[in-house]
Amino acid sequence: MLNYGGWLVGCLLCQVAVAAEPDPLNSPQWEAMHTRFLNGEPYTFDSKVKVEAPPEAEDSLNVPIALRVTDLPDIQEMRVFADLNPLPHVLNFRPKTVPPNLAFRMKLQQGSPVRVAVKTADGMWHVGGTYVEAAGGGCTLPSVGTSSGDWSKTLGQVSANVWQRPDNNRLRIRVMHPMDTGLASGIPTFHIENLNVKDAQGTLLAELDLYEPISENPMLSLDVGKITTFTLEGRDNNGNKIAAEVAP
Amino acid sequence: MKQERSFRKVLLALAVGCAFSTAAIAAVTDQDISDDAKTTADVVSYGMGLQGQRFSPLDKLNADTVKNLTPAFVLSYGDEKQRGQEAQPLVHNGKIFVTASYSRVFAADAKTGEEIWQYDHRLPEGIMPCCDVVNRGGALYDNLFIFSTLDAQLVALDQDTGKVVWKEKMEDFKAGYSNTAAPIVVKGMVITGVSGGEFGVVGKVEARDAKTGKLIWSRPTVEGHMGTLDGKDNGITGETNKSWPGDLWKTGGAATWLGGTYDAETDSLFFGTGNPSPWNSHLRPGDNLYSSSVLAINPADGKIKWHYQWTPHDGWDFDGVNEFVSFDLKKDDGTVVKAGGHADRNGFFYVLDRTNGKLINATPFVNKITWAKGIDLKTGRPEYDDTNRPGAPGSAEKGTSVFSAPSFLGGKNWMPMAYNPGTDLFYVPANEWGMDIWNEPISYKKGAAYLGAGFTIKPLNDDYIGALRAMDPKTGKIVWEAKNKAPLWGGVLTTAGNLVFTGTPEGYLKAFDAKTGAELWKFQTGSGVVGCPVTWEQDGEQFVAVPSGWGGAVPLWGGEVAKSVKNLNQGGSLWVFKLPKTTS
Repeated sequence: MLNYGGWLVGCLLCQVAVAAEPDPLNSPQWEAMHTRFLNGEPYTFDSKVKVEAPPEAEDSLNVPIALRVTDLPDIQEMRVFADLNPLPHVLNFRPKTVPPNLAFRMKLQQGSPVRVAVKTADGMWHVGGTYVEAAGGGCTLPSVGTSSGDWSKTLGQVSANVWQRPDNNRLRIRVMHPMDTGLASGIPTFHIENLNVKDAQGTLLAELDLYEPISENPMLSLDVGKITTFTLEGRDNNGNKIAAEVAP
Repeated sequence: MKQERSFRKVLLALAVGCAFSTAAIAAVTDQDISDDAKTTADVVSYGMGLQGQRFSPLDKLNADTVKNLTPAFVLSYGDEKQRGQEAQPLVHNGKIFVTASYSRVFAADAKTGEEIWQYDHRLPEGIMPCCDVVNRGGALYDNLFIFSTLDAQLVALDQDTGKVVWKEKMEDFKAGYSNTAAPIVVKGMVITGVSGGEFGVVGKVEARDAKTGKLIWSRPTVEGHMGTLDGKDNGITGETNKSWPGDLWKTGGAATWLGGTYDAETDSLFFGTGNPSPWNSHLRPGDNLYSSSVLAINPADGKIKWHYQWTPHDGWDFDGVNEFVSFDLKKDDGTVVKAGGHADRNGFFYVLDRTNGKLINATPFVNKITWAKGIDLKTGRPEYDDTNRPGAPGSAEKGTSVFSAPSFLGGKNWMPMAYNPGTDLFYVPANEWGMDIWNEPISYKKGAAYLGAGFTIKPLNDDYIGALRAMDPKTGKIVWEAKNKAPLWGGVLTTAGNLVFTGTPEGYLKAFDAKTGAELWKFQTGSGVVGCPVTWEQDGEQFVAVPSGWGGAVPLWGGEVAKSVKNLNQGGSLWVFKLPKTTS
């Protein structure tokens, strides 16, 4: 009986949260984003979830973004999206045994909120974000690799480094890929779909789903605890495989 | 911990259960493929049945009702990537699948034409297709649509979503390999060939697990090269240097660029092989096995059972890839022979015993043949006219030029003929043209054209090049013909409704009376029709589909002929017609 009451109150609270909480970034697309990326589920704008980005994009093709989440337990999934991008979905990140911190670069077509929504085991989405001003054009240009014709020579090549630090080692990965959005005339959509990071024993550390707005030759940086040796596995939407081993 | 593990097991079991239940509804099975020629509700293989007869038992649409055939929809491929549309569509589970130029695939609702998904394969710069950026079709198996690409990859897509399930590299596109043919699926294996005979590649036939793409066997088509089975050596093809001098077999060509057919009665794959490399035949005295031949291959291990060489020591790029179509040859004495029919680029229509490759008959299906006086039915070899082989260049820049008919574009090229077991006739899309051809010195360089020959193609008649011809395989005689001004370059379909369908570069899809050749119906599709028509029945109505989009080898290589077709406009669409219920 008591349990039942507790469940009822909890649910009522979350319903209130859905209806009442205004978007701090005041985006006209927020409700559409909520439906599309959060499946319309309960959410809260949460200061524990941070998106760090420059207020203005110097280069719309390479906007540096860093995600930082503190004190949120049992993270299931992190979804990154930019409300006003023609292709809003940027990436999904599922940290398994590593901290929920990730840095990458993305393309912005115009000024837009860039958000990350973090789903915890209780089903709640914790949303953080920032507004990035951009001059525009990031998504409709051909990639440099495509323009030069060189992309096929380096496709899928990985370079990586591990910086050993007292608290958390930092792993940085770069995968050569044009990451074409399909919005430049005559150039089909061509992007990395997924990338799994494992330790040397094969234990899954994190899963990433990448989408078109990730910058050409994606550069990804993760905090990885004390681990120093990694394997990477992934593929793109044409089925080209990515495989690499990283040692300090 | 223990609890968690058993919970995971349950989840896994549920997931597997779901996978099976969805597969049960939509999956294409080996049985579906074996029965494709008989079943009328779908088209699940290239050739409308693995024997490649392109015959449908449907007869609602017939010589009387074809006048009521009306457009149901047109699906535009969009984009600037028009070029030649040579594909044969496939139909399954209410969806129509079609490949397009530049290694694209479209899936649409087969009744409404509404697009479900599109896959645009990302092609690298520097691909080397010899003869336009075409694709001839895919194969269906399980929940997959499998097709090959211009950069020599084999890609399996999910039929429902168009997402890549697996992808395998067949060969190195930088060495001149590419792929345009439709794969076939036999006993759970996807069977493919390779293109690149103009670049000194080595042809091969390969079998992979259709569900995973894993290579099972590989059989090179040039003597001296080692085959493989399950990753181990499986015997050399032929006998090294028996019919090739020196090292030339190492870059010997014989590309299997048009794929093949399969006959369950003899359990044989029939794959044609292309020209020997280089074109200049004086550099390679001998028969040059197994170029310009048909190979009967055992699907279990990739071993060659028998071969028949259409043009030994080919010096005209007659090639030999044209389809070998299994059929029952009903002789006048009442006996039935397991035979196969083949219309070669060299101008002869062949009937072979498909159990052993022995020649039964060979007769011209074009009006002019200069390179041979005939085919000796006893020896099975051509009676060459040696004065009509282009001369050796020696130390000169150019050898003696000869006028040869047919031209290297052939009495019939890639476009598949059809066989109708009701009329007992083959319907051959033929062309009447010749060429000036001469040899030049050449040496092999990886990734560069390896011809050693020059040529100019010329029409033989003022009023027509193309001629759809009905061939009687018993007599080897032409029963009827329907002439066409431009060269024919599209596939043929025939039905139990006494109909023959084919397209023209002028843009028409046409229907003919299968017995008389009378033209009964035509429709202007807006661009040249060089694709392969198919037919099926859905919700009680008979449908006909054909790709439209002018291109292929003719405008690229056609010499004087290219001038006559230069005003034909490109396109890129799938036309679908139906016979409405009220009018059938």
